[in-house]
Amino acid sequence: MGKQTIIPFGPQHPVLPEPLHLDLVVEDEKVIEAIPQIGFVHRGLEKLVETRDYQQFVYVAERICGICAFGHSMGYAETVERLMGVEVPERAQYLRVIWHELSRIHSHILWLGLAADAFGYESLFMHCWRLRERVLDIFQKTCGGRVILSVVKVGGVVRDIDVAQLKYILDVLEGLRAEYEQICRAFLKDTSVKNRTVGVGYISTEDALGLSMVGPFARASNVDYDVRSLGIGAYGQLSDFQPIVSSDGDCYARMEVRTREVVQSIEIIKEMILRMPQGPIAVDVKGAPADGAESSMVVEQPRGECYYYARGNGTKYLDRMRMRTPTSQNLAGMTVALAGCDLADVNTIILTIDPCISCTER
Amino acid sequence: MTFQSQFVPLSIEELPALAVRCKDDGWRFVQMLAVAVEDGVNLVYSFMKDGVLVNHEIASVKPEDHVPSITDTFLAAFVFENEAHDLFGVQIDNIAIDFGGHFYAVSQTSPMTVISPAQKEAREKARKLAAAKAAKEAKAAKEGGEAKAQDGEDAELEAKLAAMDPEKAAKVRAAMAAKAAKAEGKEA
Repeated sequence: MGKQTIIPFGPQHPVLPEPLHLDLVVEDEKVIEAIPQIGFVHRGLEKLVETRDYQQFVYVAERICGICAFGHSMGYAETVERLMGVEVPERAQYLRVIWHELSRIHSHILWLGLAADAFGYESLFMHCWRLRERVLDIFQKTCGGRVILSVVKVGGVVRDIDVAQLKYILDVLEGLRAEYEQICRAFLKDTSVKNRTVGVGYISTEDALGLSMVGPFARASNVDYDVRSLGIGAYGQLSDFQPIVSSDGDCYARMEVRTREVVQSIEIIKEMILRMPQGPIAVDVKGAPADGAESSMVVEQPRGECYYYARGNGTKYLDRMRMRTPTSQNLAGMTVALAGCDLADVNTIILTIDPCISCTER
Repeated sequence: MTFQSQFVPLSIEELPALAVRCKDDGWRFVQMLAVAVEDGVNLVYSFMKDGVLVNHEIASVKPEDHVPSITDTFLAAFVFENEAHDLFGVQIDNIAIDFGGHFYAVSQTSPMTVISPAQKEAREKARKLAAAKAAKEAKAAKEGGEAKAQDGEDAELEAKLAAMDPEKAAKVRAAMAAKAAKAEGKEA
């Protein structure tokens, strides 16, 4: 038995886009235990709900994360709408799904680029981020912003997408899909990529369920759960939706699930555009949530299920707003995936979980 | 499968048994959160199964209360339990990965329990307005009920008069009018 050593990993590390610290207990080259530590970028955004009224807080919610910004504004709005019994117009629900799925596409492609960079495939990283720019172009054309979109409000959305823009979205996605499938071949068929990912960071289905894992991280371990299958909002209008799962439970499976989810999102957007109903895009919301009223909601963010909670106090300011992000739910799974791995695989395993620490700390 | 969410009350003593029961019955641990209320902190433990999200709520946990950790059943709860301790001052015993108050680097103890005077005042005002509105609605409902009862009596009298001999009915009407005029004169 070798000598045990603790290697500090992060919070500043080339492979980590955000500050996460791990104490890696290693014995020779094997990781015995990994203890995570966050808390470097806590911003107190949930506390801000006491001084921003429920309409203003949409803009705070979408600043929780620069990648799932739209999802957070949508999740927050849906929670408050539930709290106040607001019925959102159907067209607004369709528009929300389109922007949300576009967010998923750009998040997954961004992640694929980071993964490629982590295992030393820099040209693949550049191709991924080049494709991601096209999705940001769609955001710019339809919302005006590329990262912070500010199109959601409590009661609907503030901007419509006209017919010409809908056609533009379809054209861009069609072009993107052809190039994306070429890139996917490199990720899924290349031997050097497989060498770094197959059998690495394995999590069984039982562990994934027991550790309450969510998102592609859980689905790669054959957990058949995706919030979109609950049919909330316009997701309920989809002709068919099946979560994408893999039973391998390793880094390769997580990558495979995400690559397939991009194609699934493109199909969802196409269906939404073809079925888009006419009508208003928002309703006026007046009054304030009742004192002591509570509501909870879940949204499938690119990284997995995100839980939202709101409590009213009779004023236009909420008593409490809570976002439980997917990464905070997956930290326990990450420690299990890291236990027993080679030290050289730590960065790949952490990346395949796609941690978002800014989201987690809020 | 459709989405439903509900809130149900829970006590501190019931928490460990609930966690074990949920795990055995296949419920997924979703999250745990704390809410600062006037008489302490509420803790909400959420579990989900088949699209049903159940939020179990422990009301008014005091700073001196000790809450058992559920990390022996659901390890994923360690993040939220450390957070509830650092931001709300909730004492949680036996957390599997316990940061001992150093999970978040915050300059103030239990920052999420601090309510600004302006916020407190706004909440008080909203409560008073809600109480006044409720009292007004209750009064209007009561008056509406009395008016309805009076209308009912008048209708009954009219029905009786209609059934009488017309001459006799006219005399009764004249007597009632004189009585009403006399009563009005007295009030004046």
